[in-house]
Amino acid sequence: MSESIHTILEELPQTSLTTHVLGALDWIVPGEWQNITTLQGMIESVTGETDGDLVQKIGEKTIQLYLDGEGYQRAVGLYRLVDSASTVAGAAAMANMVGSRFEILSFLQDVTPKPDTVQAIDAGVKFAAELACFCMTNGIPGDSVGDFVGALQSYGKEELMRIGAWVALDCVLPLGPDFLAKITESIQSVSEGELEDNRVFRFVADHLPGGIAEKKALIEQNIQSSGDFLTNMVESRGITQSGVLDRVREYIDIADDKLDAVAAAIDLSTNYFEHTGVQTVARRIVSRAYGEI
Amino acid sequence: MPQSDRSRSRRLKPFRLLALGLITLAPLVACNKETPKSTRWDQAASSAASAAAQKAEKKDTPPAPSEKPKEAASFNKFFPADGVDGTKRAFTQEKDTYAEAKITNNGKEMVVLSISDAVATPDVKDKFAKATEKLNGYPLVAVGKNQSALLVKDRYQVKASSQVLDHVARKSWLTKFDLNGLAAL
Repeated sequence: MSESIHTILEELPQTSLTTHVLGALDWIVPGEWQNITTLQGMIESVTGETDGDLVQKIGEKTIQLYLDGEGYQRAVGLYRLVDSASTVAGAAAMANMVGSRFEILSFLQDVTPKPDTVQAIDAGVKFAAELACFCMTNGIPGDSVGDFVGALQSYGKEELMRIGAWVALDCVLPLGPDFLAKITESIQSVSEGELEDNRVFRFVADHLPGGIAEKKALIEQNIQSSGDFLTNMVESRGITQSGVLDRVREYIDIADDKLDAVAAAIDLSTNYFEHTGVQTVARRIVSRAYGEI
Repeated sequence: MPQSDRSRSRRLKPFRLLALGLITLAPLVACNKETPKSTRWDQAASSAASAAAQKAEKKDTPPAPSEKPKEAASFNKFFPADGVDGTKRAFTQEKDTYAEAKITNNGKEMVVLSISDAVATPDVKDKFAKATEKLNGYPLVAVGKNQSALLVKDRYQVKASSQVLDHVARKSWLTKFDLNGLAAL
């Protein structure tokens, strides 16, 4: 039997390394993210309603919609998979770095990709996973591609926090200010076989349409079409490698100064995609339940 | 420990140590504190799970003859146009028989608009029986404190939900839908 959405929300930690890191990144999307871990809290946040009977009705409809709609459960599943997959990818990047530093492990350089390439492909595939989760949760809203891009750009709350964290932790911190070019180049130059070997991609692939060539093209297009939005976020918020590191350091002790090491360590130890992803799916269903009751 | 586990443990050890060395959680206090779980939704979850299981079992049998609900995509064209009074419209959901758009003003959410087909969920229409207001001849009610709902052609719920607009302002958004077009669907 599938788990109920209220239980999935309640299982999210109120405090964890992930919530601390997200809290540290609040300056990127000020006030957008609150760590809501109950269905009642989510209903009150989405609707502003506090009447007990009405809240109950919205909650019951939310629970029913989650169990009825296969898309919602698949979206939660994919948000979870992306994090568990990137955890392994993070370990791979660290292994390579260890290989650069300690000769005793230098053989690892032969079997693991360069950290930049791993990070860049990982970041591109993660962003494609976001697109897949969006479609599973919301359908494909509107009648045109423009409508769809508009929906992505109207992101708020947990989903905007997730994109902000992705830009900071998966893009700027490990790849630097020209992360967009690096991701695009890495996706363009990776062979289809290598892409199929990417752990994050393996989890996401089933949820993207078409064959391997189409999936690869979609990942690339997804990054390119969102380029202005992402660049604007980085520039308007002044997201820099040292800025991200300084803020994260306010909350966690990081002994290493090597940015790709720090990024890999954060990747290995947090699950912000899953955490905010569950909250996003819950928020969207509550909004629909409020509309349908 | 079996030999293979031991060697795996040896292989992983440098990474574990590095990870531990790189990151230690400063505020360890109150981490993952256990909170009481609510029981408020348990009954609803149990009923919904049974209903979903029953539905799955019956999926090969033909559905009872009744009018088929309209798909959400067919509602999009009846929403208020983009750019009304300088606002921005973004379609946000299109699921089954539910279509939703968010109206923002200067980047801030102003109102969420939605159309859904209640042909398969007749109980949601009950609230309109007590409606004292009408809009274009259709019954109109306030739901809770932040929502205004209209029932078009005795089946389509058209709603405006907002935490910043009052009932009068929400009603004004409902008039911006193509209600006649929706009724003719």
